[in-house]
Amino acid sequence: MNRHDLKTIIYAEKTKEENNKYRHKICVCCGASCISSGSEEVMKKLQEEIKTRGLENEVEVVPTGCMGPCNQGPLMKFLPEYNIYQKIDCSNISAIVQSQLTEKKPIEDLLLFADSREKPFLDAQEDPFFKKQMKIALRNCGHINPERIEDYLVHNGYQALDKVLFEMSPEEVIAEIKQSRLRGRGGAGYPTGFKWETVYKYVSDQKYVICNGDEGDPGAFMDRSVLEGNPHRVLEGMAIAGYAVGASKGYAYIRGEYPLAIKRFELAIKQARKMGLLGNNILGTSFSFDIEVRIGAGAFVCGEETALIASIEGKRGTPRPRPPFPAESGLWGKPTLINNVESFAAISPIINNGGEWYSEIGTPKSAGTKVFALAGKIKYSGLIEVPMGTTLREIVFDIGGGMQNDADFKAAQTGGPSGGCIPAEHLDVKMDYESLVSLGSIMGSGGLIIMDKSSDMVDVARYFMEFCMDESCGKCVPCRVGTRMMHDLLQKICDNKGTQIDLNRLEELAVYVKETSLCGLGGSAPNPLLSTLRHFRQEYENRIVKHD
Amino acid sequence: MNTIPVIINDKKLDVDPGKTILEVCRENDIEMLTMCHLKGVMDIGACRLCLVEVEGANKLMSACTTRVNANMIVRTATDKIKRYQRITTELFFAERNHVCSVCVANGKCELQQLGYKVELDHIRYPHLFPQCEVDTSHPWYVMDHNRCIMCTRCVRVCTEVEGAHNWDVMNRGHQVRIISDFNTPWGESITCTSCGKCLHACPTGAIWPKAIVQGQLEKKPEMLSELMEKRKMKL
Repeated sequence: MNRHDLKTIIYAEKTKEENNKYRHKICVCCGASCISSGSEEVMKKLQEEIKTRGLENEVEVVPTGCMGPCNQGPLMKFLPEYNIYQKIDCSNISAIVQSQLTEKKPIEDLLLFADSREKPFLDAQEDPFFKKQMKIALRNCGHINPERIEDYLVHNGYQALDKVLFEMSPEEVIAEIKQSRLRGRGGAGYPTGFKWETVYKYVSDQKYVICNGDEGDPGAFMDRSVLEGNPHRVLEGMAIAGYAVGASKGYAYIRGEYPLAIKRFELAIKQARKMGLLGNNILGTSFSFDIEVRIGAGAFVCGEETALIASIEGKRGTPRPRPPFPAESGLWGKPTLINNVESFAAISPIINNGGEWYSEIGTPKSAGTKVFALAGKIKYSGLIEVPMGTTLREIVFDIGGGMQNDADFKAAQTGGPSGGCIPAEHLDVKMDYESLVSLGSIMGSGGLIIMDKSSDMVDVARYFMEFCMDESCGKCVPCRVGTRMMHDLLQKICDNKGTQIDLNRLEELAVYVKETSLCGLGGSAPNPLLSTLRHFRQEYENRIVKHD
Repeated sequence: MNTIPVIINDKKLDVDPGKTILEVCRENDIEMLTMCHLKGVMDIGACRLCLVEVEGANKLMSACTTRVNANMIVRTATDKIKRYQRITTELFFAERNHVCSVCVANGKCELQQLGYKVELDHIRYPHLFPQCEVDTSHPWYVMDHNRCIMCTRCVRVCTEVEGAHNWDVMNRGHQVRIISDFNTPWGESITCTSCGKCLHACPTGAIWPKAIVQGQLEKKPEMLSELMEKRKMKL
């Protein structure tokens, strides 16, 4: 298919949309979270209901990706009114359809957050949960059917790819990304544009682009939701990256625990190939690029880029020392670009709207938006996207609706097992890379776990240490034995048997493991311990056996 | 060949580019502690004993995997590095069941020598005392996992020198084990050629021949290095 054919298809789809015979569109969230609370059944029941009422020609029912408030699922959204219903029970569907479509008024008691707000917002966009957010990476998540490429095409899909192939040189694409000041969303925050440029500069007969979808942090589900809700966006980002750095082959490494994400991404690849948006001579140009999915086998360490590469090569997934960095010698010894799912999802809006537009969002050092997986003792947990620099207070109390049972906020854990805990006195911290590091935590991939007074911080540290101990690949000594020793010492303190000497050893080991480990897993494994020691030292001291 | 200047421990040296920091140090009689390094086979930077401070680097670098650059400033024996080497040694001893007095490698063991070098008088961390197997199924050799330090020198020698790839690693974290084939008894291995190279590669008493008693063990890791050197010359 060439450029003209693509335009024809988009035009046809858009006309169809404009001359929409449907008066209503009902979106049913079919992300993994809502499916687990029964949204597939809701979908089926809803279709039956529409059929019995003979409304097939007036109402379009669309299964979509994640809408955001995951713990209120299954969710159902009526457009154009933007009424969202929560916790849909199959027995309610008939009443909702009756009221919404026939009587033209929503059932307020069943609307989103009706059980926790004094009065629910009829237009959900007015709800603080949505109002304070800014969706770029998640733009079409929850609006389009992720299993139909046409839905994506209508929403400016593949326009960025079209633009770079016909109007931009690889250097211009890289300059645009550099100008956007996008930083790696996988956690480390390395400037994406510079990474692309490095790979671009190496001369090689073959280069690779890898999408890191091995999201393993406990409590994190950003990448999963993006892949499930809008797989074509990631695919387009990868293809643009391939064009910019000069790669003809891409791999999407998705963890095996995400069967739905894998299914939808593979389907997206198939559809894109069929349309000539992947494969040889994309849109009739000389650029060829294809993507293959590799499924992770459940090792957290395979999220580390060198371990991930080893895993794709069919080897045991263990990291190797850097340099050489993957940009120089990566997959099969070739220059390789590795970016996170969310980074790739940000590419096409940057190309479409310009790097300058993106760089103006967020803070001077951390541009753009960040997706967080909000979880824990908070009223409304789920998937959110906010501009960088939004304060933790806004996220917890405005978007998240405050603490469950109005308990006191104690700490927020960011960055999973590589991150740390932010105490209540720092609630006004701006969520960006530098501010979080200065508090002893990291941005990480976006896991955000909110804790109240019932959480014991020593136990939190012990839990994350146990995770790192189990997930250490066992290659280097500090991580293999050090995490086990730290875990045992933390367990001892949790059991109220620890002494001051144990605490001293723990601190010494933490610094040792951080500085000497081979890869980032070991290097960041002591972070939860160090940050809880920094902000909640008293809790450790209280647990220690005193000899008087 | 052109040489490049580097400064190691305040001493200016002219060295061949392309060499690792470890090679340069060894050639210039700068003492370096290593455990997973075996000359001739691939370096993996796993034991973290050869960590050095490189000026301008934001982390400690493993000397065995870092190549020298022009004007690189390296320090190999700072207080911090010595302290970390000691902790690493302690962790080695605490991880599995190392009892020198009853070990076949007593006096020939690289781990034991490492203990002397870092002046280890006691181990501050609790011993883990894991339950480890002793595989005596091979007619000539024994694999005692109690004494294994997971340096994976046997794995690399078996793959790179002998080409058999009998040995590999299974599991994760502190539960890692060296395995024969797909975790079958060594005696039943279909890939092992019984060449005995892993015996010489092993730094401790984890792999040893059945026919000897304590004091008779001979380890010749340098034989493997020479072998690889000669092969390279042939090529």
